[in-house]
Amino acid sequence: MLLKYFNSAGKNSPSWYDGRVLILDAIVISNATKQFRKSTTPKHYTTFKSELVRWIRGERRPAPEMRIEVLRGINLTVRQGATVGIIGRNGAGKSTLLKMITGIYSPTSGTVTVNGRISALLDLGAGFHPDFSGRENILINSIILGMSRGEVRARMEEIISFSELGDFIDEPVRTYSSGMYMRLAFSVATHVDPDILLIDEILAVGDEHFSHKSRDKMDEFKKSGKTLVLVTHDLGTVERWCEEAAWIDEGKIRMFGQPSTVVAEYRRAVALEEGRLSNGPLASNPTAPVRIERVELLSDSSSQPVVLTPEDPLQVRITFSSLDRSTNIGFRIKLARSDGLTIYETTTFADPVPLVTPLPSRGTVQLQIDRLGLTSGDYQVCASVEARNGQSFDPGTLACTFRVASAGADRGIVTLPHRWLVDRHTDE
Amino acid sequence: MIRNITELYYYRALLWSLTQRELKARYRASLLGFLWTFLNPTLQMLTYGLVFNVVLRQQIRHFLFFQFVGLLPWIFFSASVTGGATAISDRRDLLTKVRFPPQVLPATVVATNLANYLLSLPLMLALGILYREWPTWHAIMFPVILLIQVLFTLGTAYIVSAINVAFRDLQHIVSNLMTLWFFLTPVLYELSAIPERYRKLMIWLNPMTPLIASYQSIFYHHQLPALRPLAYVAAISTLLLWLASQVFQQRREEFAELV
Repeated sequence: MLLKYFNSAGKNSPSWYDGRVLILDAIVISNATKQFRKSTTPKHYTTFKSELVRWIRGERRPAPEMRIEVLRGINLTVRQGATVGIIGRNGAGKSTLLKMITGIYSPTSGTVTVNGRISALLDLGAGFHPDFSGRENILINSIILGMSRGEVRARMEEIISFSELGDFIDEPVRTYSSGMYMRLAFSVATHVDPDILLIDEILAVGDEHFSHKSRDKMDEFKKSGKTLVLVTHDLGTVERWCEEAAWIDEGKIRMFGQPSTVVAEYRRAVALEEGRLSNGPLASNPTAPVRIERVELLSDSSSQPVVLTPEDPLQVRITFSSLDRSTNIGFRIKLARSDGLTIYETTTFADPVPLVTPLPSRGTVQLQIDRLGLTSGDYQVCASVEARNGQSFDPGTLACTFRVASAGADRGIVTLPHRWLVDRHTDE
Repeated sequence: MIRNITELYYYRALLWSLTQRELKARYRASLLGFLWTFLNPTLQMLTYGLVFNVVLRQQIRHFLFFQFVGLLPWIFFSASVTGGATAISDRRDLLTKVRFPPQVLPATVVATNLANYLLSLPLMLALGILYREWPTWHAIMFPVILLIQVLFTLGTAYIVSAINVAFRDLQHIVSNLMTLWFFLTPVLYELSAIPERYRKLMIWLNPMTPLIASYQSIFYHHQLPALRPLAYVAAISTLLLWLASQVFQQRREEFAELV
């Protein structure tokens, strides 16, 4: 137990040698599971009363406990100095995993081994006493995180200046805004000089300026060879900034590896699931006068999903059926990036398109985009039906996804038509 | 138990800071601030003084001083145990957000009340001098008695705090039990006032009896405390602390999940 708490090296298995120096993996989790007692509300706490009642009834043994398995066999090794992003849906077990690494929870079975001093930012201002000033809380919090008094005093000014709290540092913490709270917490957690920093979805609270600053601080961490584990829903950060990504799904690691691959897989799974949900057995709206039967991309490519280049055209075909001879009906097509950002959205009313009125009982409408002009990534095309007054009939039916692969290293949302002009006569 | 104590030693900076914080927080935003450390027992003393001196007309010499000698360590004990009951169950913020050694929490409560006790000792000595009860050399036994009391208090606080996480009834039971325990301990009366046949029972069944009686011996009767009961309490306390450490170790895994 002592060993576990101090996180001392020694009892851990060496994993690789670097020259003559033995380097231990920062975090080794092997086959760890975590179960929680299910708290069916009023029986959450065993009371003497409930125990007594049980006894009188003659049930000598406690009722079989309902248990929830949150993590079901996690195997994860984080190298010394790696930056790992953990992604996954709400309730997948990300935070539980982080708490297990921190040592707040112990695994129900399996082992978690950590080499080095951990600092965790799991929640805002854990252990802050509301009545104390920021300065006093820095002292206590740093000591909780494992620093000595002397160390804290030496770094006090540095922490205060990083938090940018100015004169507020001597005000009681209860008067702070959540942003100020976060700045203080982040400053303390990063200045206790941890070997491993765990961050749970916290940078979202800060303003633009502070989130840049904390990003820089984390870059500094990265450069100095420290280990970072980040739980976040900001997939862009994971792709750009992490070296490895782990996707947790239903208490298991579904994928571990290159961030771009993992994030893409995760996005596809989410899109697929949403598509399945909204495509349903056309329960959309039975009284809708017009229904979309099918939406497809017309392309030469036979791969699934369709892969296009930024210069390719995009053709979307909607196949519809009409119950009666509808008039005043239009179609809407929305082009969105896999993270939900709408790239473009238009309707047959907006453009305006002379549809055949009344609509035939079956037919197709096609949207033609001559040049796609998007950067690499995954995209979705949604189509829906609506009346002229804007009333929508089919809920935005996710129809198909496609991928853009660009050879160049360009970035951004769209590939604008462009060319470079180079002056060849620099020296007269 | 050894492990428990070494861990406490390892976290001494944390223990010290938290204790300081508790001491400061206790009277923060109150007008009289730290004076309450003295005012609280004084007011309590005056209340009992009124009841026992004026109403019940008891016959103890220098009664106010006598009861103060017993009352201060009693407050140390009872405040530690009642505070210890909720020491862990009330600190969800610390236990679920950071890796925090839970054994520091009950120890903090005990240390805070110990500091309060020590800080109010000058008041007791001053009161004694007022009654011409000068401290004598017998007071050298004080650290020994105090150490035994700390062991006993710590052990009780550990057990109560660990069990209260799962059985929240305990905190209410404890606070009521403390009142009963108070009157079963010779704080407001002398042990010699107890009928002979019950006296033995009170000494052997209630570890607080020899402790309080020892304080009264050295400060009030100016004699050495009865050593045999004291040694017995020392043994009991060590055993209790060992048991408490076992219980605590066994349960601490589930603290973060249950608080």
